[in-house]
Amino acid sequence: MIRVTRRQFLKTSGGGMLAVAGLSGCRTSAGAIAPTSGRRVVVVGGGWGGATAAKYVKLGDPSIDVVLLEPSTSFVSCPFSNLVLSGNRTLRDLTFSYKGLRDRGVTLRHEPALAIEPEQRRVRIKDGYVSYDRLIVSPGVEFQWEQVEGLPEAKDTVLHAWKAGPQTEALARQLQAMPDGGVVVMTVPPVAYRCPPGPYERACQIAWYLKTQKPKSKLIVLDANQNVVSKAALFRAAWQAYPNLEYRASNKVTKVDPSARAVTTEFGDVVRYDVVNLIPPQRAGNIAVEANLVGNDKRWCEVDHLTYESLKAPGVHVVGDATIGLPVPKSGTIANAMGKIAASSVVSLLNNRPVAPMVPLNTCYSWISDREVVAVVNAYRIDNGKVVQLEQKLTPGPSTVYAEQAVAWATNVWNDILG
Amino acid sequence: MLLGAAAGVTLMLAASGAVAGPLDAPGYTKAFACSACHGPGGNSRAEATPVLAGMPAWYFKKAIEDYASGRRPSAEMEPFAKMVKQQGVDDVAGYFAGQPRERATTKVDRAAADRGRGAAAACAACHGDDGRGSEARGVPSLAGQPAGYLKNQMLLFKTEKRSPGDAALTQVKAVMKPLDDATLADLAAYYASLGR
Repeated sequence: MIRVTRRQFLKTSGGGMLAVAGLSGCRTSAGAIAPTSGRRVVVVGGGWGGATAAKYVKLGDPSIDVVLLEPSTSFVSCPFSNLVLSGNRTLRDLTFSYKGLRDRGVTLRHEPALAIEPEQRRVRIKDGYVSYDRLIVSPGVEFQWEQVEGLPEAKDTVLHAWKAGPQTEALARQLQAMPDGGVVVMTVPPVAYRCPPGPYERACQIAWYLKTQKPKSKLIVLDANQNVVSKAALFRAAWQAYPNLEYRASNKVTKVDPSARAVTTEFGDVVRYDVVNLIPPQRAGNIAVEANLVGNDKRWCEVDHLTYESLKAPGVHVVGDATIGLPVPKSGTIANAMGKIAASSVVSLLNNRPVAPMVPLNTCYSWISDREVVAVVNAYRIDNGKVVQLEQKLTPGPSTVYAEQAVAWATNVWNDILG
Repeated sequence: MLLGAAAGVTLMLAASGAVAGPLDAPGYTKAFACSACHGPGGNSRAEATPVLAGMPAWYFKKAIEDYASGRRPSAEMEPFAKMVKQQGVDDVAGYFAGQPRERATTKVDRAAADRGRGAAAACAACHGDDGRGSEARGVPSLAGQPAGYLKNQMLLFKTEKRSPGDAALTQVKAVMKPLDDATLADLAAYYASLGR
């Protein structure tokens, strides 16, 4: 384990000015860098949950020093990224700067958190430690590569495109390069995974693209689950417009062979492809697993429903897709809500104030073509300290008005996270 | 009166020893999740969702009641309206009524707004020349709402999908019915342009 003094840390730190501005007045005890104000919140991960949390801690109490550790220098939205595959959006449309957070006084460090040490209340980074009074971890998901034979070796060519970024564009290019008449295979992982309706929206977008651009081609969807996981009736109705889409439930893919261009299901069926999109099984991001924030399933993090404090590590709050136990989907809207709730509870706890119960809600739009959208919404309440569902409702069918509302949601929630 | 209210707020804050920030506004803990669609503090920057910031509490409460009961059908808003009612509609309405309204960022088609001004006489009879409506008559303000939202609502009125069978809306629907969609879009642009 590397331990550095404050002087060494400042010298070797890439973000010199940031380090001086945001991490000044440090103590050198145990190599940890402490804030001058005496109160610091560190946020690990600048996705939907973490970026929201960082912003809202600052909004809640500007005197708290907030440090956000996020390797990426820009924010790329997973919601709407299925539209990049069909050419209905570009990745650039979905890419945003973290400037808004910096302007609000959040210290951004574009580097990974390497480890969490809850007992010392500090996070290890490349050049030392960042100490905290409260930690908010928004680790996202990691893929369980080893669950699919042949996948660990083929990670770079067998694409998941399940974290919006270079793989999204690479998969779009593979689809574009495929000759008409080709077969696209996409796989749906077993629950729980990020964005329950996401694979089925993706199926719509790929089928729409093939229908309009490569009409002799087809899409085979191999779903590890027994049925469409989310908005089942709406997606099945939407697929009536896509005779080029073949959906096979209970078809868990257990093997991929890129040289033979084939996947194998758990029943031994071999399905050949020209382009494959293999969305692997998922669990919480590595740092959460390594810090032992995950429960007995070794996959997801159990949290208090009012504060999102980890049930495993006091002082550490977990938000977003990595959590389990609440009756909520792993969605962007939920991560945004959790970020705000965790931020408020952290601000209250650091100011010795009672934590007010705050109830999340979910709204989830899916594009079934270039212009029509279906949606599901979930309302919740808190009962005896636990989040329970009040009601779920689906749109009666697809509509261009829901598409307008989807765009409105994206515009406003991106601003809520980053603005 | 305004000064008195301001002094009251200052005294309260002094007593609690806290510096009030945007998250300390009463009702925030019940209204915070609305911002995913309606924007931070209810300041929607998008065409299709209405601005809630500064919305008079009486109209916010009416909308929530109508959504929750299904009188104003909306798959998206019905569950959330029930949630708001369960948490306390007065608190949420008060929160949004108290939020400062930001300068609108949605664009207005000036030519359409000019055409809409000419077609707005029938609307002004109830909504007023300034489009701000009247609480006493139960008429909401349209001024400065995004054109996309206004247009979609007018299309719902026209096709009897907005609050079907509501006797109080017979007159407004009769006004909409003969208008073509392009005129509704012009009216939407006009009311969106007011109060900017």
